[in-house]
Amino acid sequence: MRDSAGAPVPDAAVYAMPATGPTEARGKVVEIQQIDREFVPYLTVIQTGTTATFPNRDPILHHVYSFSPAKSFEIKLYSGRSPSEVTFDKPGVVTLGCNIHDWMIGYVLIVSTPHFARTDASGTARLRDLPTGSYEVQAWHPRQREAAPAQSLALEAGATRSVAFRMDVAPRKVKYKPPLDRLKY
Amino acid sequence: MAGPGEGGALVKLNSLGTRIVLFFVALLVLVQGLGAFLVIQANAQIARQAMDQELEQGERVFKQLLAQNQARLEQGAGILSADFAFRQAIATNDTGTILSVLRNHGARVGASVMTLASLENIVRADTLDPVRIGKPFAFPDLIRLASVEGRASSIVIREGRLYQLVVVPVLAPEPIAWVGLAFEVDDNLAKDLHQLTGLEVTFASRTEGPWHLHASTLAPELRVSLEGALSGDDGIGANLLDVGGEQYETRVVPLESRPDKRVVAILQKSLQVGLAPFHRISASFFWLTLGGLILLVGGSLVIAGGITRPVHRLADAARRVQQGDYTRHVQVENRDEIGELAVSFNHMLDGIVSREKEILRLAYEDGLTGLPNRAMFYEQLEQATRLAKRGSHAVAVMLLDMDRFKAINDTLGHTVGDQALREVGDRVRKALRESDVVARLGGDEFAVLLATGGADAPKVVAEKIHKALEEPLVIDGQPMDMTASIGIARFGEHGEEADALLRAADVAMYEAKRTKSRYAIYDPSHDERRQEFLTLLGELRRAVDAGELVLHYQPKMSLVEDRVTSVEALVRWRHPKRGVVPPSDFIPFAEQTGYISAITRWVLARAIEQCGVWERTGLRIRMCVNVSARDLRLEDELVHVISSSLQAAELPAGMLCLEITESALMEDPRGAQATLRKLRELGVATSIDDYGTGYSSLAYIKQLAVNELKIDRAFVAGMEADQRNAAIVRSTIELGHNLGLTVVAEGVETDHELAELRRYGCDAAQGYLFARPMPAAALERWLSGARDKPPGQRADILGEV
Repeated sequence: MRDSAGAPVPDAAVYAMPATGPTEARGKVVEIQQIDREFVPYLTVIQTGTTATFPNRDPILHHVYSFSPAKSFEIKLYSGRSPSEVTFDKPGVVTLGCNIHDWMIGYVLIVSTPHFARTDASGTARLRDLPTGSYEVQAWHPRQREAAPAQSLALEAGATRSVAFRMDVAPRKVKYKPPLDRLKY
Repeated sequence: MAGPGEGGALVKLNSLGTRIVLFFVALLVLVQGLGAFLVIQANAQIARQAMDQELEQGERVFKQLLAQNQARLEQGAGILSADFAFRQAIATNDTGTILSVLRNHGARVGASVMTLASLENIVRADTLDPVRIGKPFAFPDLIRLASVEGRASSIVIREGRLYQLVVVPVLAPEPIAWVGLAFEVDDNLAKDLHQLTGLEVTFASRTEGPWHLHASTLAPELRVSLEGALSGDDGIGANLLDVGGEQYETRVVPLESRPDKRVVAILQKSLQVGLAPFHRISASFFWLTLGGLILLVGGSLVIAGGITRPVHRLADAARRVQQGDYTRHVQVENRDEIGELAVSFNHMLDGIVSREKEILRLAYEDGLTGLPNRAMFYEQLEQATRLAKRGSHAVAVMLLDMDRFKAINDTLGHTVGDQALREVGDRVRKALRESDVVARLGGDEFAVLLATGGADAPKVVAEKIHKALEEPLVIDGQPMDMTASIGIARFGEHGEEADALLRAADVAMYEAKRTKSRYAIYDPSHDERRQEFLTLLGELRRAVDAGELVLHYQPKMSLVEDRVTSVEALVRWRHPKRGVVPPSDFIPFAEQTGYISAITRWVLARAIEQCGVWERTGLRIRMCVNVSARDLRLEDELVHVISSSLQAAELPAGMLCLEITESALMEDPRGAQATLRKLRELGVATSIDDYGTGYSSLAYIKQLAVNELKIDRAFVAGMEADQRNAAIVRSTIELGHNLGLTVVAEGVETDHELAELRRYGCDAAQGYLFARPMPAAALERWLSGARDKPPGQRADILGEV
């Protein structure tokens, strides 16, 4: 995946929707951690029905919330293991924030397919072991200026196919983050 | 001393006092006026500058406050938008909840209106107006700005109200909506700003049409006025605005200026308030000037009074002096300039008094003798006659005239003459009683007023006076004989008025002189004689023209040659009625009146003519003519008459000899000398007549250009009786010869005298012994007959004449 200047675009989600229709996951659990007052990872892609925990790895408390329509929740001040877990039962985008650290921001993309991946630093994402069939390949980025058009793909068994996306992404605005040692006081 | 002029003097515009007051008042008004002008100008400038500074400072403070206010509002808005509960409520998407949270949280930060807009600029909630929901947010620019800056604010007008609108995103943590917080700009804000800046603060806007005021610290009626003033002045740049009849120094701070919308803050300070301290100074200045003016008028009135009062007093004193009142001095109050003037005035008064006395004294006193003068004598005489008319006083007037005093003056000079007069006055005064008045009437004339005594008293007094004058009088070593002729007139008998008495005494005095008596008492017959004399004088005037004058000639016998060598021409007046008048009766008067010159002219011409006739018939006789002192003074005329007459008669000048009396020469020695020199140059011989009667020295005679001395007849006549006279004659002849002069003896009457004269060597002789003066024809006959006769027989011939 590259932008209009030809540079690779990392942290973009790429997923293939099978023509057979949406599917939900059952009992799958992912972790969205808070490390050094950041959501790690910045973007988490999950299948609908997946449950997420928010373990706090920092020595301070966090208050994770989301007002997104796909999933609105809040986990009040806690540390260590997250006192509750959240099951994302609707596809969509959930923006994560921390009520006491305004700069912390994280995204959860919920898709109704098990075939998804994130682009790496070279802008490449690999979807493996897809059953043969017809797919609609889609891409999404939290700071995308415009949604990239989906691409249809018929996949035969054993075959590897490449799909190129062109997507312009706004630069990440990083809010002021005070140094940690100062927060210790 | 309050004179009539004193009270009115201060009222009069041209009086000294008024002028002093006016001067000082004008001076003060000028100086204070100038001072006030400068102070007011400087003050006004300072006050305006102070106000300018105050406004400028106020403006700076205002702008800073406004910025701070905005920052505070923005900060508040930012905090509000980050409030979790607020965000949570917004995220519910429930309109009722959203509206209530907007109201609730808006109240927390003091916002007047809260508006929520979607990220697509669509209003989702508005605390003021629900109708706006679903419509685009009215200020998209602010949202655009806030999406870049994180927040934005501006002054906006909504529904005719002025707001400070702050727009911030609702973050979750990404923007999910925009919230607008509007804070109304109202009177409270203006009041707060007023308290901090000290200026009147007004917020106004203009979209279309007139300016509209949103908030102000001004009173309601002033706001209307200000709106009017703003509308009237589109530029709104004026520094001075008239609001409600008062001047306001004005600064306009633009808050929003777009073509369709202008919002301004108007900062003002009332000139009246700003300039109040300055007005207080001006008022103080005015009162100070007024007070000074009152003090000054009072003070200068006092000073002016101090000057004018004594001046009026001096003027009054001067008026008194003018009216002849010298008795009162001016009172001297102060030792200032006016006091000095008063002292000087008093000195002047004393001077006037003493001078007036002196003038009176001079008017009634004779300066020379210190005796009363004619005026004084006349007054005393009038007073005496008045008294005499009432009572029976015996009043008598005596007039004294010195004899031959003129000769003393002529020969010895006026200084000696004056001394003699003083001495005479002194003696007469001493000879009389204190009650008698002695006065000098002028010249050598004295008068005595006897107010007591009987009818014989004047005679007694006259004798006394003569006795007193007989005492020898010596002045400058020169002995003098002083005699006087006295005329006496008695009151009642000779007159009752002063004038009549004086005239009578005068006539009597002339009578005494004429008769050579010591005194004469007036007699009416004197008047006739006097009248006669006056008539004679009048007739003398036409005697020359009428041919009444004739010349007689007396021969001069040369004792050397024993023959007649010359004749003396002597004038005679053949009066048509009186017969022949002797020269002694008219020559002295002719000399006094000056008529002598005409007579001398005639005599010279006639004598020279006669001499010429004789010369032509072979009779060679030198002609001698008498010349008076007065003739000598007319030097040129004399020389002219002589030379022309000689020319006419074809005679050499040597044939003429002029005889001049010694006293005539002494009258003007220097002039006589010059005249004699001229005559000598002409060739005319000169002779000194009556030698020995005057007081001339031989040294003087020596200097004179004369040829001959004639010894006075008095010496010649006394030779026989007195050896001293003979000695004088002898020595005079010797001296004359020593000086190279010929000597002639006059009045020779006896043979003895002639013999003696011959013995002394006298050159010539003249007298009755030879012949009396006679007419020309008689002389001719006498000469032809007597030529050969010896002198002793000539008496017969004399008898024939």
